[in-house]
Amino acid sequence: MTIAASAARRPQGFFNQLARLNWGIITLLSAIAMVGVVMHYSVSADGTARMPIEHATRFAIMLSLAIAAAMAPTRVWYAASYGLYGIALILLIGVEIAGETRMGATRWLDLGVISLQPSELMKVAIILALARYYDDLPPHRASTLLWTLPPVALIAVPVALVMHQPDLGTSVLIAAAGVAVMFLAGLRWRFILPALGAALIGTVFAYQMVLHDYQRDRIDVFLGLRNDPLGEGYHVLQSKIAIGSAGLTGQGYMQGSQSQNDFLPEKQTDFIFTMIVEEFGLVGGACVLILYGLLMAAAMQVAMRAKTDFGKLGAAGVAATLASYVIINTMMVTGLVPVVGIPLPMISYGGTAMMTLMAGFAFVLSIDLHRDQTGGRGILW
Amino acid sequence: MSPKRDLQAIFTKRSFLLSTGAFGALSAVGARIAYLQTLDPTNYSEAADENRFDTRIVAPPRGRIYDRFGVRLAVTSRDFQLKIVPEDATDLEATLRAVAAICELDEDWVARRVRDVRNARRFDPLLLRQGLTREQFAAVSVRLPELHGLIADAGDVRRYPYGEAFAHPIGYVQKPTERDITRAQSPEAEREDLPAYLRNAVYLRNPDVRLGKAGVEATWEQTLHGDAGWRKVEVNASGRVVSEVGHESRAPNRGSGLVLTLDAELQRLAFERMAGESAAAVVMDVVTGDLLAMASAPGFDPNQFVNGISSSAFRALNEDDHKPLFHKAVTGAYAPGSTFKMIVGIAAREAGVEDDWRVNCPGYFPFGGRNFHCWRRGGHGSVDLHNAIKGSCDVYFYQAALRAGPERIARVARQFGFGVKHDIGVPSIEDGIVPDPDWWRGQGRGVWTPGLTVNFGIGQGDLLASPLQLAVMAARLANNGRAVAPRLVRETAGLQPPGEAPMIQGVRAEHLAAVREGMYGVCNEGGGTATRAGDLQLAHTPDGRIVEVGPDTRGMEPVRIAGKTGTAQVRAITSATRGVHYSRIEWRFRDHGLFVCFGPWRAPRYACAVIVEHGGGGSAVAGPIARDIMRATLLRGPSAQQAANLAALESDDDIRLTSL
Repeated sequence: MTIAASAARRPQGFFNQLARLNWGIITLLSAIAMVGVVMHYSVSADGTARMPIEHATRFAIMLSLAIAAAMAPTRVWYAASYGLYGIALILLIGVEIAGETRMGATRWLDLGVISLQPSELMKVAIILALARYYDDLPPHRASTLLWTLPPVALIAVPVALVMHQPDLGTSVLIAAAGVAVMFLAGLRWRFILPALGAALIGTVFAYQMVLHDYQRDRIDVFLGLRNDPLGEGYHVLQSKIAIGSAGLTGQGYMQGSQSQNDFLPEKQTDFIFTMIVEEFGLVGGACVLILYGLLMAAAMQVAMRAKTDFGKLGAAGVAATLASYVIINTMMVTGLVPVVGIPLPMISYGGTAMMTLMAGFAFVLSIDLHRDQTGGRGILW
Repeated sequence: MSPKRDLQAIFTKRSFLLSTGAFGALSAVGARIAYLQTLDPTNYSEAADENRFDTRIVAPPRGRIYDRFGVRLAVTSRDFQLKIVPEDATDLEATLRAVAAICELDEDWVARRVRDVRNARRFDPLLLRQGLTREQFAAVSVRLPELHGLIADAGDVRRYPYGEAFAHPIGYVQKPTERDITRAQSPEAEREDLPAYLRNAVYLRNPDVRLGKAGVEATWEQTLHGDAGWRKVEVNASGRVVSEVGHESRAPNRGSGLVLTLDAELQRLAFERMAGESAAAVVMDVVTGDLLAMASAPGFDPNQFVNGISSSAFRALNEDDHKPLFHKAVTGAYAPGSTFKMIVGIAAREAGVEDDWRVNCPGYFPFGGRNFHCWRRGGHGSVDLHNAIKGSCDVYFYQAALRAGPERIARVARQFGFGVKHDIGVPSIEDGIVPDPDWWRGQGRGVWTPGLTVNFGIGQGDLLASPLQLAVMAARLANNGRAVAPRLVRETAGLQPPGEAPMIQGVRAEHLAAVREGMYGVCNEGGGTATRAGDLQLAHTPDGRIVEVGPDTRGMEPVRIAGKTGTAQVRAITSATRGVHYSRIEWRFRDHGLFVCFGPWRAPRYACAVIVEHGGGGSAVAGPIARDIMRATLLRGPSAQQAANLAALESDDDIRLTSL
């Protein structure tokens, strides 16, 4: 199939393109962002609506940019994928050499005009790069060990760099996205099982040698090896109190005593899900989880009906990233996994996670919009 | 190589696998929430409430202390105060400057307060200033919106309107000390049977709680304290109050009032009469035992102690050689000197000394190989008991003591209140010393010698008595030998009125009359050592009142009192100081002057004892002070007036804001 052919069949005008966007995904994204706006209004610390307005504005701008980016045909994403990965990698190395240290972690790179976290860029870049790699790879090679090594390297290098910053959360997310893409691309179980074993050993090794004290403390507290209700355990304890006392329908909007009276730390960032449950109860928490579930399902649907391996793997990778964010964050605040600094995407205050996810969904929207084009392998421009 | 794999099919299959995993994980989170809310044994709602609510103590208003006529001597009144919350004070210096301008305070105050606020806890209100006038309070209140962090408040504060005059008997309250808090936490608290509030360290640490630390405030602490209230408040994580939880609170209960036997006017007068001296005066009703005045000079301002006295002010009080902090009237112990001679006289008569026994006084008494001197160098000549008391002849009492014997003197002394702790309900009551051969042996000093008896006869040696004990002695002489007990508290919750005092056993009325006659002579007859003190310039009216002498009192009977002077040696008399006028000796080496008296002679009702430390002979300074206090007492006649009733005093709670 050629571009010309598809162009002949579908009207190409801007407004037609706009109309054919996946509005289900856009609606879900907007609904989730609105939850964030509502929650930020609930605990506006300074009594003004500054934070909710900022959150809404940020989302509106990013959504506009995402829609604009979605207009780009698949081949643009395809062509840009390795380049993007290369840039992200170079920036990560740049952070290693000349990064700016904030709050004990070197994550930011000051580019003069803007300062950014290259690790966030990498979350999207790894998906695109691996999707392209498997798209390019002849099917008979996909199953061999030799051709499995390059993607492992593509994942391992940035994960190691981010881990060194140190940013455990982001490295977990990068690894999760990359591994998910490899898994979906048909990685053989006979490679997966030994890798799982190795990963387990690696985890223990990492716990002993690589992790920082504060990270180890969090794991110790989670495993019950240490009881520290005023230190590392404080966040989770307060979070559990808030959730446990909320009941089916919660304390009511703006009525959550744990959140409103500041017992719950990080309530507008990493622990915002706790505040949602405290004020809206199990019902509110479930609704938010369902919204995320629907968004994942929508992204997977895009992956299923995409015609190219690049599109399929890319969209599924974005869905996997979203799932990783949501699952790790909500499990963390409910005390199911140790504390890892991962926000609840689109709801937590702050632009970083939102930007990553919106970039990912710009790609998903683009794949969906251009699903009739073959894209991917063999397409030259 | 593996057989050909359908990557499309694998993708689809694994997509479902991953999706199922993701949805499973999301469901697990939902289940986890449900678990935390229902099955988890931890009671999170309780934990949340524990976080959220805080019970704040409301210190109770303290019971008031009244004089015998209902005059308020210690009150807990509303006070206009300014507090500041350091956390909220965005421009601390500007705020303090504004306060200083309104309250007319200087730059130094601002600088001190800036330091205080910087060192204080960030979220707790810190007391900046109290005792604001209504105008100042209004002026600050108007500007509150711009003065960030400032709180204008009406709080309870203990105040002592009479200040210095009542500082000793009433004492003061202070913040609980570290010792109070340690005691509250120790197992001793159980043993000492302390009430709940004194075993509660958290309560004691509350900045509004005060405990009595001196005077009746300390002794009657548990009666006066009252029951604390509490209020439930919602707090945030930093402990700041977010809102009140109005329906869950308990109002505090005021402590019981205390009606003292003191007459505020007489007390003030006695205190002022002693100005400049280091002295004490006690006035006692000889029938009821009521202490009408019990003043020690110099005094101190008890209000300084309520919110913590500065260390420099405390040091100044503590190092003053006139000992203002010392409750001399009950804690001071002095050799009674010649005021003890009535006791020796009674003991001698009891021992069989005849009514007309006379002694020749050449000015000294040779005994045991040395000469015991009489205060009058030339001697008194031939004296009987009456003249010996009147002229305070030492030689007579040297010999009378030898005839009476130390055991008998000691017994009579104790019967008249010496060596006895008169528990009037203030701390540190001195029980004094009455030496006798047993006591002497108990001290490990061997066998009592007759020389000691000789000295005992003029109230010297180891004998020590407090002004209160001297007043008790005078009262028991005046009331014809009734063992009246002094009392300071007339009425309070749970206090039983005293029964009638028993007669002193074994003391004959005629012996008492004889020494009383001698005391009359001291004040009213030629040769008396205190005739100046006996001249009260008062007269009895035919209808039984006592009035000042004036043109219209001509022909009326003058009011007379009976008394006795005393001089207690501070250090041994040497040839350098013998006969030298007291004013030419260094203050701290001068003798203590004492005077005891009772009156009116016609029907004795009041006894009075005065001690002036380093005041020289008893007739020089102590006598005139006693005369003036006695004169004021007789003119006022406090025992003849209707005393106040606690129930009536406590029923007018609503006027407490305006009355002071």
